[in-house]
Amino acid sequence: MSTEKGRAIITTESLCRYYGKGETEVRALDNISVSVEAGEFTAIIGPSGSGKTTLLHLIGGLDNPTKGSVHLSGVNIANMSGSQLSDFRRDHIGFIFQAYNLIPVLSAEENIEYIMLLQGINAKKRKEKVEEMLVKVGLENLGGRRPAELSGGQQQRVAIARAMASQPDIILADEPTANLDSKTGVSLLELMRELNQEQNMTFVFSTHDMKIMERATRLIHIEDGKIVKDERK
Amino acid sequence: MLLFKLAFRNIFRQKRRSLLTVLSMAGGYILCALSFSTTEGSYKNLINLFTLDHTGHIQIHKENYLRRPKIYTNIKDIESISQMLDRRPDIVSHTLRVYAPVLAYSDLGNTPAKLIGIDVDREQTLSRLKEKIKSGSYLSVNMHNSDYSTALIGRGIAETLNLTIGGELVLISQGADGSVANDIFIVQGIVGNKNSKDKSNIFIPLEAAQSFLSMQGRVHEIAIQVDSPDSARKVSISLQEALPELTVSPWQVVEETFYKSMQSDKEGNRVGLLIVVFIIFIGVLNTVLMSVLERTREFGVLKAIGSRPSKIAQLIMLETSLLATISSGIGFVISVPIIAWFTYVGIELEKPIDVGGFMFSHMTGELSTYVLGTPIMIIIGFSFLVSIYPGIKAASIAPTEAMRSH
Ligand SMILES: Nc1ncnc2c1ncn2[C@@H]1O[C@H](COP(=O)(O)OP(=O)(O)OP(=O)(O)O)[C@@H](O)[C@H]1O
Ligand SMILES: [Mg+2]
Repeated sequence: MSTEKGRAIITTESLCRYYGKGETEVRALDNISVSVEAGEFTAIIGPSGSGKTTLLHLIGGLDNPTKGSVHLSGVNIANMSGSQLSDFRRDHIGFIFQAYNLIPVLSAEENIEYIMLLQGINAKKRKEKVEEMLVKVGLENLGGRRPAELSGGQQQRVAIARAMASQPDIILADEPTANLDSKTGVSLLELMRELNQEQNMTFVFSTHDMKIMERATRLIHIEDGKIVKDERK
Repeated sequence: MLLFKLAFRNIFRQKRRSLLTVLSMAGGYILCALSFSTTEGSYKNLINLFTLDHTGHIQIHKENYLRRPKIYTNIKDIESISQMLDRRPDIVSHTLRVYAPVLAYSDLGNTPAKLIGIDVDREQTLSRLKEKIKSGSYLSVNMHNSDYSTALIGRGIAETLNLTIGGELVLISQGADGSVANDIFIVQGIVGNKNSKDKSNIFIPLEAAQSFLSMQGRVHEIAIQVDSPDSARKVSISLQEALPELTVSPWQVVEETFYKSMQSDKEGNRVGLLIVVFIIFIGVLNTVLMSVLERTREFGVLKAIGSRPSKIAQLIMLETSLLATISSGIGFVISVPIIAWFTYVGIELEKPIDVGGFMFSHMTGELSTYVLGTPIMIIIGFSFLVSIYPGIKAASIAPTEAMRSH
């Protein structure tokens, strides 16, 4: 899958996700049609409950839409079976969550290595990549530590390293800085932006934080499950 | 490899819980192993007591003598059969016997009895007849100095006919040629007690019995001892091939009632054991489910970043199997010395147990691959079974739900 700049890598068409039925129906996402180009650094913003998490989950194939479709690099992910989708996520999407991203029994290095192990990459290449990623996220000497022995910011750096180590096309991050103090949050975002520019990887992340959204190249505003504003800088 | 690393570290995460699970499964192992050891050991004792009292491990007869014993249903060519049996390495010993119903007389009265002609030398190698003599002595091939043949009589006959050692006993029966057989015998020894199986038996030397019943060169029964009761079936199959005109029966057939009651007793033991193991594994199931539930988020992350659902299920099953393997190892290490002691030393019972006329005073176990290996299969098999449901449950965790549960 190529990540040529300017080409639509994520396309959603009339994407809807409703929870419940009848009286209690919640339209978490209502008719979202949006397209993200390769290499973009996009923030999804909006008030709490507006549907940011739901949108990221649908794009990442973690959840199924009520209506509409998601195409990733032209492939409709709705047509995939359970393990096909697992393999697709493994090879093409990197996830960073708000917290508790890491496997507690694995060291930072092993967490970063995990997806590459699933991919069947050989030990030498894995080791090289882990070293490289640890340097990139500034944790050269902390690779042997377990998540419980790292600070929140350091844990999120490991999560970024893990998400990027397998060279996915898209990285989806749901409020990656929400559990961090604002200084740590900003430096984490700067790291993401650097990696985005350096590797030309597509980033889509959600946030509440003004300081964070300032750094995005594109802002998609959603409210009540609808896109209300879409601005590129 | 990765899965092993994860599984191994996960079981060390909740040390106390894993320890409890391991202890309960190891307990299950020990329980199974000890129970198998005692049942196998005491049945082996019992089978040997039973078979080597008189029956032997295998018997050879003519036609259906076992079910319809007739004096005419007898075996010829005993010379050559006997030589063949002596040559076979899988046969420890054998002996020849003649049977007939007789009427026994003394000065005081008469009583029906069972006459058994025995090969005086060979009988000692197979049955415990000699050890059961309570007074007097064992038969000798040489005639008594009065020209009469000697006899061993059961305690019941001795009491009814008021006979003591040296007393004269008259036997009347029908010979194989239809003639009336009668002769005088001198009591040489008294066998067993009033309740034993031999109470109305009369043993005389084989040659004396053959001439008494006019069936020279023939016998009714050949009893065989092999190295262990377990090999009786195998050896009897090959003997049957060698002796197509005769009927070869292992002890399981000769003593069918005893064998069947033993089997059903074992079955009962197994059911009891199964219930205990079942209860243990309900506990294990509960623990495994709990550990899955606690890690919902973690499995959600693992799935989100691209682990296939089947990998997650495998992880859970591997964790449980690892615990089961450790448990079996611990159970094994604890069981071996206990069972070895029980097998080679055993327990001396204060009061001997009377099992169908056999006095059972020394209880021992058995140390074998069956006794130690079957519990491993039970523990690992059950742990596999109880990990299926938690495994499926973990595999079907929706990553979105897992991610939202803060
Ligand atoms: N499993 C669910 N069942 C019912 N309603 C749900 C479920 N998940 C989300 N919702 C609803 O869907 C809407 C969108 O939720 P979502 O989590 O996407 O919002 P969000 O923009 O990520 O909010 P926040 O900023 O608080 O994280 C909300 O109204 C929420 O209550
Ligand atoms: Mg959210």
